[in-house]
Amino acid sequence: MGLGKSIDKLDDYYDRLAQNKVSKITPDHVDKVLVKLRGKEALLLAEIADSQKVAKKERLESKLAVVREQIERGQWLLGEIEAAASES
Amino acid sequence: MEPLLVKKLILPLVLGLLVVGFWLKPDLQEIAAGVAIFLFGMTMLEDGFRLFSGGLLERILAKATASVPRALGFGMLTTTVMQSSSLVTIITISFLSAGLITLTAGVAIIFGANIGTTTGAWLVAGFGLKVDIAAYAMPMLAISIVLVFQSSKYLRGAGFVLAGMGFLFLGIHYMKEGFDAFQSQFDLNRFALPGLLGLIVYTLIGAGMTVVMQSSHATIVIIITALAAGQISYENALALAIGSNIGTTITAVLGALTANYQGRRLALAHLVFNVLTAAVALAFIVPLVGIVDTVSSAVGIAADDYALKLAVFHTIFNVLGVALMLPFLWRLIAFLKQRIPEPALDISTPIYLSDATDDFPEVAEEALRKELGHLMDNAEEVIADGLNLDMSRLLATSDIAATVAASRNPVPVDFDTAYDQRIKPLHAAIVEFASRMGLGDKDTPESIMHRIHDLRAGAGRIVRAVKAVKHLRRNATRYTETNHGATTVLYNAIRAEIARMLVEMDKIHNEDPESRSALWLDEERVQAKRSYKDAIHVTEALIRDGSLTAAEATSILNDSQYGYEALKDMIEACKTLHAETETGLEEVERILALDEEEAEEMAMDRRIKEV
Repeated sequence: MGLGKSIDKLDDYYDRLAQNKVSKITPDHVDKVLVKLRGKEALLLAEIADSQKVAKKERLESKLAVVREQIERGQWLLGEIEAAASES
Repeated sequence: MEPLLVKKLILPLVLGLLVVGFWLKPDLQEIAAGVAIFLFGMTMLEDGFRLFSGGLLERILAKATASVPRALGFGMLTTTVMQSSSLVTIITISFLSAGLITLTAGVAIIFGANIGTTTGAWLVAGFGLKVDIAAYAMPMLAISIVLVFQSSKYLRGAGFVLAGMGFLFLGIHYMKEGFDAFQSQFDLNRFALPGLLGLIVYTLIGAGMTVVMQSSHATIVIIITALAAGQISYENALALAIGSNIGTTITAVLGALTANYQGRRLALAHLVFNVLTAAVALAFIVPLVGIVDTVSSAVGIAADDYALKLAVFHTIFNVLGVALMLPFLWRLIAFLKQRIPEPALDISTPIYLSDATDDFPEVAEEALRKELGHLMDNAEEVIADGLNLDMSRLLATSDIAATVAASRNPVPVDFDTAYDQRIKPLHAAIVEFASRMGLGDKDTPESIMHRIHDLRAGAGRIVRAVKAVKHLRRNATRYTETNHGATTVLYNAIRAEIARMLVEMDKIHNEDPESRSALWLDEERVQAKRSYKDAIHVTEALIRDGSLTAAEATSILNDSQYGYEALKDMIEACKTLHAETETGLEEVERILALDEEEAEEMAMDRRIKEV
């Protein structure tokens, strides 16, 4: 699925940052959110391992796909923020 | 009605007394003007400190009340700096009402404020009467007005604080001048009352003066200046000071009138503390005066410097009060909880919203967030009941679909009554509170206003979710109470989706805020879309093979839509409730979140893979 609208949202964030409408995102902010997403990933994996019913397993795997998509975006965002920090 | 009547009587009485007094004794005008300037200074000081709210003040207060000694020290320090125990009391009531500090911390702050307020007496007796205080006031006022016209709210706040201090000094100066002039013509000392009668009468006068001026600080200043001018006797001045401690409790009582039960408990604590302290001081006035003499001579205060000796007395009697009450703090807390019990959980009454938080935007936002959580808890129960499900069984089961299928008996609940009692009043209170915040202080940070708007919208979504469930309740009951084949299976699927969301909402609500993320709810959004599409797909297939009648199919399609709308609104409300509030984190969440199209795409991806 890729980065979807995240690139546009990041551009929008930089525009608002330039106008002093938002506070700066630091790598720590992204890390904190990534920790929460990875926590959810671990919870879902444990639930999938415990599930007996096929329907429940599928439902949880679908959720896992969403959280992994968000983690992927989070890692990309971390790279962007770190790159911006090293440039400035 | 009674406080209103008293209020109506006080105004003409005070105005009448002033006019008669000015006519009889023109020198009274200078004293009264001094009091007026002093009170105006206090108002400016309070306004100035209020401009530091909306972040700074709240953050400091929240951190400083973690333990009893810290809360006590904080009460002392803030009252010393702000020179207003009333402002500290009102702020504390607002924090307590919003559930940000504990009752114990609140009471400890009030104890500390009583010690902090004694610095006012020292300021006047040790500084105000001994130097030309007006000389300091003039440059302060001149500088302050430059700051007051600045656009930065903190500079404006500093300007108001400086102007407030300047007016306090100027007020003290005029009171001093007024009493000096008054002394040459009229000797109030003629009305001095010795013994027990004097003690009681002057205590009542001190209490009355403080009630009228709404400031024990102003009362103490008048007492000290009158004492220094020899207009009242030292003994009567002591009684007036004791009375001022009783009179000041009225400010807290008035402040608590619009607060919730916690605010009322704090006002009662203030009343109990001050009245008991005053009673002890009156009962032991003779030994106390002896202690004051000993301490005064030990620190080099002249035996006839009654103004400073009054400051010593004021300090000793308030510190003694705290020392006496502190060991009984837990008993006092128990007494307060027993006298003003938490309202029996009448779930239709707002718990966290109160007028007391109006001046403190961050506190108001937190109160609103907690109230939204309260509304959501109520909605979970109402929605579960509406679908004939038992919330506690849903939370306990490992197979929600099976539990839902087994829940066939209608829950005997009047959905409209439940909505009117448990949803509508809270929603109305949230809308009213958020609107008031929107119309309030123009200095409220934009980010807070934005989040307040979101929280209000979240409450609206919860209401819509409950209404959507109301629409599908009749058919859900009809088709799941007894077996209607495929129709029952499809209605149970709708109920199970909502039940899963109720469980997820409960889980995320009870998760540690440091671990949970509103982003987790994107999974639910994708799942809700997918299940809705599945329901339509299956229904259409069943229509084609003749397993469903047209009437049944129409009901299922309509109710699937209601179910989906309910899910969407529950998810979005839950996202608002648990969204990050720190701006950097808020932005990260916004960038990583799936938007509507992306959620749709992910839901379709999964369905295509399954097909």
